[in-house]
Amino acid sequence: MYEPRIIAFLCSWCSYTGADTAGIARMKSPANIRAIRVPCSGRVSPELVMRAFDQGADGVLVLGCHIGECHYDTGNHRAAKRLPILRSLMTFAGLEPERLHLDWVSASEGERFSKIAEEFTGDVRALGPVHWRVNPDRKQVASQMLAASREAIPYPETDCAAKTDAIRKKARELLANNQVSCVIGYEVSRRGRSRPVFVYTPEETGRLVWNPDCTNNLTTYLPARLRPIKGKEPPKPVAVVVKPCDSKAINVMVAENLYRRDQVYALGVACEGIRCPDGNLQTRCVTCQEAVPIVCDTLISGATSSFIPRLSSYAREEIAELQDATPAERLEFWLGHFDRCIRCYACRQACPMCNCPVCLYERDDSTFIGLGIGLNEKRTFHLGRAYHLAGRCVGCNECERACPMNIPIGLLNQKLAEEIEATFDYRAGLTVAPSPVVTILSGEYKEG
Amino acid sequence: MSKSTAPKKRWLISQAELEAWLDGIANARTLIAPRQESGIILYRPVAKSGEIAWHGQTSRSAHGGRPVLSVKEIFFPPTERLFTIQKTGQEIRLKETFPDWETVVFGVRPCDARGVKLLDALFLDTNPVDSFYARRRGNTTLIGLACKELGPTCFCTSVGGAPDDAQDVDIMLYETDGGYLAEAVTEKGRFLIPGGEWKETTASPQQSTYSGQFPVPEKGKWPEHFNDEYWAKMSERCLSCRACAFVCPTCRCFAVRDELVKPGEFERIRCWDSCAGENYRLVAGGHRPRAEKGERLRNRFFCKFFYYPEQYGLGAASACTGCGRCIEVCPVGVDITEVLMHLEKPA
Amino acid sequence: MNENPMLPYLGKLVEVRDLAAEIKLFRVEMLNGGGEAFRTFQPGQFAFVSAFGLGEAPFGIANASGRGPTVDFAVARLGSVTTGLHELGEGDIVGVRGPLGNWFPMKKFKGKNLIVLGGGIGGAPLRPVIQHVLDHRSDFETLTILWAARHPSLLVFTDEYDEWRAAPDTALHLTVDNPDEQWDHNVGLITQLLEKISPSTDNTVTITCGPPIMIHFVTKMLQEKMGFAPKNNYVTLEARMHCGMGKCGRCNLGEKLVCVDGPVFNMEEVGGLLETFL
Repeated sequence: MYEPRIIAFLCSWCSYTGADTAGIARMKSPANIRAIRVPCSGRVSPELVMRAFDQGADGVLVLGCHIGECHYDTGNHRAAKRLPILRSLMTFAGLEPERLHLDWVSASEGERFSKIAEEFTGDVRALGPVHWRVNPDRKQVASQMLAASREAIPYPETDCAAKTDAIRKKARELLANNQVSCVIGYEVSRRGRSRPVFVYTPEETGRLVWNPDCTNNLTTYLPARLRPIKGKEPPKPVAVVVKPCDSKAINVMVAENLYRRDQVYALGVACEGIRCPDGNLQTRCVTCQEAVPIVCDTLISGATSSFIPRLSSYAREEIAELQDATPAERLEFWLGHFDRCIRCYACRQACPMCNCPVCLYERDDSTFIGLGIGLNEKRTFHLGRAYHLAGRCVGCNECERACPMNIPIGLLNQKLAEEIEATFDYRAGLTVAPSPVVTILSGEYKEG
Repeated sequence: MSKSTAPKKRWLISQAELEAWLDGIANARTLIAPRQESGIILYRPVAKSGEIAWHGQTSRSAHGGRPVLSVKEIFFPPTERLFTIQKTGQEIRLKETFPDWETVVFGVRPCDARGVKLLDALFLDTNPVDSFYARRRGNTTLIGLACKELGPTCFCTSVGGAPDDAQDVDIMLYETDGGYLAEAVTEKGRFLIPGGEWKETTASPQQSTYSGQFPVPEKGKWPEHFNDEYWAKMSERCLSCRACAFVCPTCRCFAVRDELVKPGEFERIRCWDSCAGENYRLVAGGHRPRAEKGERLRNRFFCKFFYYPEQYGLGAASACTGCGRCIEVCPVGVDITEVLMHLEKPA
Repeated sequence: MNENPMLPYLGKLVEVRDLAAEIKLFRVEMLNGGGEAFRTFQPGQFAFVSAFGLGEAPFGIANASGRGPTVDFAVARLGSVTTGLHELGEGDIVGVRGPLGNWFPMKKFKGKNLIVLGGGIGGAPLRPVIQHVLDHRSDFETLTILWAARHPSLLVFTDEYDEWRAAPDTALHLTVDNPDEQWDHNVGLITQLLEKISPSTDNTVTITCGPPIMIHFVTKMLQEKMGFAPKNNYVTLEARMHCGMGKCGRCNLGEKLVCVDGPVFNMEEVGGLLETFL
């Protein structure tokens, strides 16, 4: 019979002692378990778990103190929120969910430890060897897009001239009154491409436009511009043109103290959707629920609003299609797509929520991930990034749009957004509130 | 390479003949060709000619049939293992493996071929020779495919190239009515052509359409623009991702590092890197030169048109092939042709 | 030579000792082909040292070629590779790739007065210069060493000061920014010390290594206050490098590559560069 290798992260205050208790009482514990002592189950970051699987673990067991008994008060609340999300993400990427288990064992519960370890080992043994880790010599196999997806929805004709005029007029006023130092909006390049532009004087406001190709989420530029720099004057407020989806990013950033709400003047555009280069509606717009920006200081609306709530949700069908597939099929689907990744980081750089000074996955001294452009590293990067965006991603899908290699990264984010909504009844950016993944439990948690 | 003055040998072949020939090559060697994969075109190994993407635009590339990544990745892959490290106690053993397979690349556009020539200047012609690049390069035959016209972001004609420039490939194919005109450019290419089976011709290839040339500043003009305020302004929208460098046929910066393979075994790898990235110059002490986006983008443009040509003896030529891929992939519309036109004619 | 220029020679650590706080000296005995490659090298050259499993990093060679068959490196613990090196001890194996880069033109310096200015770990690549001068003492006129660190515990090669002081026509001046109670030398920045000494430009060249900001202010003072011609101010620069052979493209200062066009430059050359080293 296959003997699995299992990594167990044990909280030093409870389950590690619990394992000891089991040993002292001469209770049988499976020899498959390699215990790693951690100060708290809250210390078990998703990177540690992914690293264990990347290195060939067949199963990962995380044990912490019972809720209410944490040595650090709420460390295990983090574990309780984090690990289920990580598990659903890794399951979505092709891991059998039974291979990752979180449970609670106190110092005196030797018997409980023994029982959990025994059961978990049995479950993992029944699954057989894990196929998560990628052999470096794996042959490249391309993944195709999902069948459910990409049914083209033509872009609806809309009136843009009125909105362009309204943006220019308001921008001119804000700059002339010295209310803001800069207006971040869109312009059309000589080549005819709509792109971000930074306008500093009333005279330049004629460059600003609105059209169905204004795809960029301009809030991405805000944190660096609004960060106070030591020894320099505090930065002046900035005006930014936002679509409904983009505007939610402001709420998340304000909640995360990246800047204050009064530092941003939001020129919110009532949006009919953004189109792809092929003329069809973008994926994000198909499932969009908001026609009007959530965060908005001036509403830029056209003569008529032609927004039709699009209840079609084919992106969700894609998720359902993947979930109906076997873990092996999901694994192959994602490996096939991640294989194309070149680690250019366009997804991360385009993302308004990816604003760490040095990305965890780019650090020279990172022990979680190599800098190589190999398949294991690429998957860790994308899954890790999706995890870090759980409860923070506002669904602008700029990551997927920016990807030169056409990797459906947005699906990961959307999957987790669904998960978060189902678990916490929370959608990122609707209010100024931190992601429920990083807050403590508040009654929504039921043990078992 | 000696340039013969004798007229080049040419053959007229049909699409079917071409495909049969490529099938034969794919049977005997590794054939790499543009292939459609998840909605984009990439240079990938193909088992038969039927897998080749001949034409067609994709959402990521408007230039028909041209892969998103340049042919660079075949000679200078995103990650290369330099050697393996085996550690047992205090003992260290280093083990090398070199790439050693014969490859034929089909469908190489003149801009990509020119890119390979430019990388040769660094990896082959400047000592010490890079053993990995040299082996891949030596074992590879390039079959070029002339572009009938420029794609929407192309500007090869402005930087000394041409859509039907055959000088950097081994065999060149030109589309004709109902087939192709094949031309053996090098001995290596001649070797691959089936002697008696193809019909020789004395016809000349039809010239491609040249359009929209614009003047590019000469190498000597660049230093005077180094301190222009323009760089800070034009780079404001830059996201500091590395897409432009990674799709570029001539960007070749790399990072070296050891990675764990399994307990006791590591490999030293080199992987692509780019001067556009924020942490490219970060040193352990915390000193971070080129902290501003403008300084980083300036470095990239200067590298193409001034540094690289200076460092590797390109003379008056630039290290930009005018493929326009960086324009195509930039998520925020940074446009190298705008930079060139601005420098040539400051507003 | 190896076919693969990225393949390091193996070297055995025959001595590892603390030089200063968080700075260690590694003495390497080259194995196999490495002995031949490192039979001679020049003051100012550098090499990549590997902590196998973590990577490699460039270090200035810290001893003169004439001093024994071993090669010295002074390593401050800063990043992952240097931390890995600090965990190694005598008998452990490291990788060494080099010698690389250009060097101080010691032949050209013959018959001249030399001023050596070292800041912190920047003193390491200057030690071979000092050793070379001491070993060929009659070839050079006076040798003035200005040695600085933030704190007395960060001064490197303290056990060699007596040897340096004892040499004829040689002076050693020490300074620290933050003295401790035992400190009985100068206090302040190296520029303050330099101003105090106020050397003459007559038949004199200077050699500086230290943090970029120190190099900047020292050479500025030498030229603006003391009237040195930039071509007589030599510096050794550092930049992030990953290959050391002009391939990886990381270390460029404008059109020059620090690894192959440097690391030694005189300030006239530095002044001609498009980019500043700061």
